[in-house]
Amino acid sequence: MSSVVDAGPPTEVRRGAAHWAGGYGAMLRWHLASLRLWLAFLVGIQILSGVGFVLGIALFFKPIPVSVALFVSTGVPVVNLLTIGLMLGPQLVASQKIDGSYDYLRCLPVSRSANALAWYTVTLVGGVPAMVVSLAVAQARYHLPLHLSAMIVPAVLLTCFTGTMVGYAVAHALSKATATRLVTQLLTFAVFSFAPVLYPVRQLPRWLGTLNWWLPFRQMAVAVRASLTSGPNPGLVTAYIALAIWATACAAVSALVLGRRE
Amino acid sequence: MTTSAAASPPGIVQLRSGVSYWAASFGVMLRFEFGRARESAALTVIVQTFMGAGMALTYGFFYPHVTPTVALYVTTGTPTLALIPLGFVMVPGVIGEQKIEGTFDYIWSLPVPRSAQAASTFLLYTLLALPGTLLALLVATWRYGVHLEISPLVVPAVLLCAVTAVTVGFAMALAIANPLTTNLVTNAVIFVVLLFSPIVYPISHLPGWLSETHRILPFYNMAVAMRAGLTRGLVTHAATSFLVLAAWAVAACLSTAWVIGRRR
Repeated sequence: MSSVVDAGPPTEVRRGAAHWAGGYGAMLRWHLASLRLWLAFLVGIQILSGVGFVLGIALFFKPIPVSVALFVSTGVPVVNLLTIGLMLGPQLVASQKIDGSYDYLRCLPVSRSANALAWYTVTLVGGVPAMVVSLAVAQARYHLPLHLSAMIVPAVLLTCFTGTMVGYAVAHALSKATATRLVTQLLTFAVFSFAPVLYPVRQLPRWLGTLNWWLPFRQMAVAVRASLTSGPNPGLVTAYIALAIWATACAAVSALVLGRRE
Repeated sequence: MTTSAAASPPGIVQLRSGVSYWAASFGVMLRFEFGRARESAALTVIVQTFMGAGMALTYGFFYPHVTPTVALYVTTGTPTLALIPLGFVMVPGVIGEQKIEGTFDYIWSLPVPRSAQAASTFLLYTLLALPGTLLALLVATWRYGVHLEISPLVVPAVLLCAVTAVTVGFAMALAIANPLTTNLVTNAVIFVVLLFSPIVYPISHLPGWLSETHRILPFYNMAVAMRAGLTRGLVTHAATSFLVLAAWAVAACLSTAWVIGRRR
């Protein structure tokens, strides 16, 4: 009986907290190693673009109203938190699909959630420095009435997580690399241009504002802005609930797609 | 004459030069370029229209109150916003792709003058630039309800801006050997153009050193030339801008000539 067991492949059940943590650590190292210098480069680019945006917007006005500066300065952190997870991540996965490493990564004996959380950690590490620098530059340039509260921690964590999960779902649910690229570019355009992240929702046409209520980007801006400013924050609870729903739904889609057998 | 040609020893080929040979080569290369662009032409026009019109709408969202002046500046800046991505991003991108996949070397190896090749590329992209630019302007005019006073000057303005954008983009792609560097430069250009160039706002908003820089760079001058053709009284020194743009186009052509004139 024992000889039959020995002849087969190892069938030890791989689960449990220790296995999960091991998988998380390994995948975190994997992601960091595969990005290597790129991560530092990306952080640098993000800092430059964040600071550029904060300073550049002043040129559109003469002089820039404080409310505009405040909106842009508290919206740029959201963009910083989304850049890697939402905009770059899907493109990385698309190129993995083309060069074949995607299938290899999928067959690694690591739990899907450990891999996803390791990637989330990378996006957070890549996004937070730019966010801090952008805010510091904004404060120095415009002397904004910023009011940092402890809510910054859940706001940043949830914003980055939701963005990363949306990107994760786009990356894994769309099988074609070109479709992934197209959707990613549309999302990028949506965040920068047609979502009330860098400007108030009242400056949008009404229908676009309503549409944005159902999308996560406006809610991210509400959550992050509430933690950086004082004053009433209507819709904050709704924003957190909406973000949680978006994150859960996208994580579920990714889990389903990744769990399917080919 | 025919006998002497027939009697010439093998290996000596007829000299391929002269105006008629150049014109014939240009025609052939034009067919070649248009044939290659057939698939992507529609997409190029669509992307360019969306870029231009999308940016025109976006800038409006950033202003708490879109005053008539802001609306006029944004609307008349839109054609420039539509042209710049085509010339400074798409053209270098296409050349970069050609370099990576080897088509670039193949085209250079064809028995036609390289100047005819470059000229056909310029013509193709200048023509491709026009519909998207016009559509983006129409969208912006409709959105902001601006009344434009279009003068005949708009024709040379659009053509000169398109030629400048395409030739400078092409020269940049040729002068920089590594496509990755080109990619980085084009992205930096877009960022600078979208935020730090006085295209949709007056140049007086800029600090002195930046406005001086922009009087030399092509982006602001493109906006001035376009605005001169679309409005009356808003632009005073349009001739200077036309001259600066022409200088950029000539410099780009010279740089292109220098790069393609070298043997590898």
